[in-house]
Amino acid sequence: MATNDPTPRSFGQRLQSLSRQTVYLILIIVVSASVLISKFMGLTLPNKPGAGSQDFFAAIMAIPEGSTVFIQSDVTNSTRGESAGQFEALLRILMRRNIKFAVFCASGEPQAPQVAIDVIARINAQRIANGERAYERWNDWVSLGLFPDGRATAKAMMANLRTAIDKKDTPPGKPPTDVWQSPVMEKLKVIDDIGLYILVTASKTSDILVERLKFAPVTYGDVPLRTKLGCMVTGVMGPETNNYYRSSQIFGVVIGLNGAVEIEHLMENGIKPGQSETYRSLSIEGFKGMQNYARGMAYYLALHTAMGLLIVLVIMGNVGMWLTRRQTGGGA
Amino acid sequence: MNWLFLAQAETPEYNFWNGAPGSPALLTKVVIALLVGIGIMIALMFAPTRLRRPLVALATFVAGGFWMASTFWPTAPDAVTEGRNASEKVAIFLKDVTSVVADFSNVLTAFLLGLGIYSIVSVHGKRILKRQQDWSFSVVLFASIVLMAIFGYADWMDEQNRTAAVTALSPGFWNRGRDLLFDGMLQNMDAAMFSLIAFFILSAAYRAFRIRSVESTILLSTALIVMLSLMGVVVSAWDGLAGDFAGGNLKLSEISKFINSNLQTPGIQAVKFGLGIATLAMAMRIWLSLERGGLNS
Repeated sequence: MATNDPTPRSFGQRLQSLSRQTVYLILIIVVSASVLISKFMGLTLPNKPGAGSQDFFAAIMAIPEGSTVFIQSDVTNSTRGESAGQFEALLRILMRRNIKFAVFCASGEPQAPQVAIDVIARINAQRIANGERAYERWNDWVSLGLFPDGRATAKAMMANLRTAIDKKDTPPGKPPTDVWQSPVMEKLKVIDDIGLYILVTASKTSDILVERLKFAPVTYGDVPLRTKLGCMVTGVMGPETNNYYRSSQIFGVVIGLNGAVEIEHLMENGIKPGQSETYRSLSIEGFKGMQNYARGMAYYLALHTAMGLLIVLVIMGNVGMWLTRRQTGGGA
Repeated sequence: MNWLFLAQAETPEYNFWNGAPGSPALLTKVVIALLVGIGIMIALMFAPTRLRRPLVALATFVAGGFWMASTFWPTAPDAVTEGRNASEKVAIFLKDVTSVVADFSNVLTAFLLGLGIYSIVSVHGKRILKRQQDWSFSVVLFASIVLMAIFGYADWMDEQNRTAAVTALSPGFWNRGRDLLFDGMLQNMDAAMFSLIAFFILSAAYRAFRIRSVESTILLSTALIVMLSLMGVVVSAWDGLAGDFAGGNLKLSEISKFINSNLQTPGIQAVKFGLGIATLAMAMRIWLSLERGGLNS
């Protein structure tokens, strides 16, 4: 007599056949719990900064006060888990060091300039709440807006910085004015006058800049730089961008959420002699006593648990396959 | 008119391609540019079909030729034109007009945004007018576009009269509205969509990452080490246990660095080298209009 009862599944098969919904639910619970635990317990997990982040930190800590840094921020909030933490850490360092900056997007992403301005406003609000000086638009930083064609813009900046940037920004209480009249920009004539050029991106814009921008080597304090271009990229873009770091075509690279935590760690602890892989005797004081661990560290536990979950699930699937094979004599 | 306007000791503030904001000269230039643009558009619309292909090929060749020349032409040591030979004058000219061509390029790229808006209005406008399926979502789309534009522009206008400190302490009505729409809604929805990748990756890794061969074993082991190396707690514990055993080479951070420097980076360099050659070949074909497809088909 035929039976409608399904064949009972073995333990090995069960291990391999968790439903999609179950996997999704586990991920939601694990990540949400991790973020909440981090938020309410204020966890600070250990981290060992890599050479790319150390060199990046060393460069932005070495540039002279009052210099102007160009920040090409091509990211939107879709990658804020990684990019926002990096960008916030960068802004905190620049503001604490009284370094002026011009922020713009050159990747054709229309939302990016506003996303960057909102992050600056958020950091400014925190500074005011902490009794620090507000970083003032026009006098301390300017927004150069959107350059839809990054390739052409980079070439134009190399050819003539002054004519490549034909933009206005708003001085306090005044109508929009040519950015070249701003204290941030007025001293710049050629691209080598920029203190550093930092790219915050989730895409391949690093390729575009490496191919088109050429900087003369410079030494800031104890930090010799072969180029002024540095990158903060998402984890996905890390391996590609790392090529340029290895060949010294960028001065440093901060990769993904782990990179954001590395920068926050360096802000807290600085670099002690012998710690830097590139500059052995370099010593840099951090910003002890200030708010250094922020968005990066807030998500770091979630990175751990999500990675851990991924590893556990892959092991589960493989153990299940192995058990099933053994049971069926290697046929499954 | 000195066309080599940048090739002067002092770059003039205004030149052939721009003018003082609000000045009659600038207005005249804008009107002339608009008329010339419309004229070219009309001429292209009425151009015979068999003439369009060579016109597009010519435009492609000239546009690509400029960037090719600006990249490969030897540069002049400085921008002063006196006493320069023809080659150096060409170099200075190319450098001069790069900003102007970049402006053209930026404007043309920005047109893609306008094209996208036109396409959205066209598709969803028809859907609403014909009461097609899910037309109500199209209404929501239009309302979102209009609201975002109104609040964005009003906030920008309002911002002109506010300092950063004032805005940080007490954002105005338009700023709150813009913040709610842009940061509160649009950006969170954007982030939510992107976060779906985590679910797909986890599910796909669970189902597909199996040790079935030597290659997959190597891949899985390498991935495991790289993933573990991103977990500071694990790195700290592992490195502590490994200590200086075997010259410190068994530390997780060292193993990960070895994989990164000796396997990952050379592998990606090889891929990028191949991609670069392929891109160069494709670029040459497009530049010379040898590629089939579009107007060349």
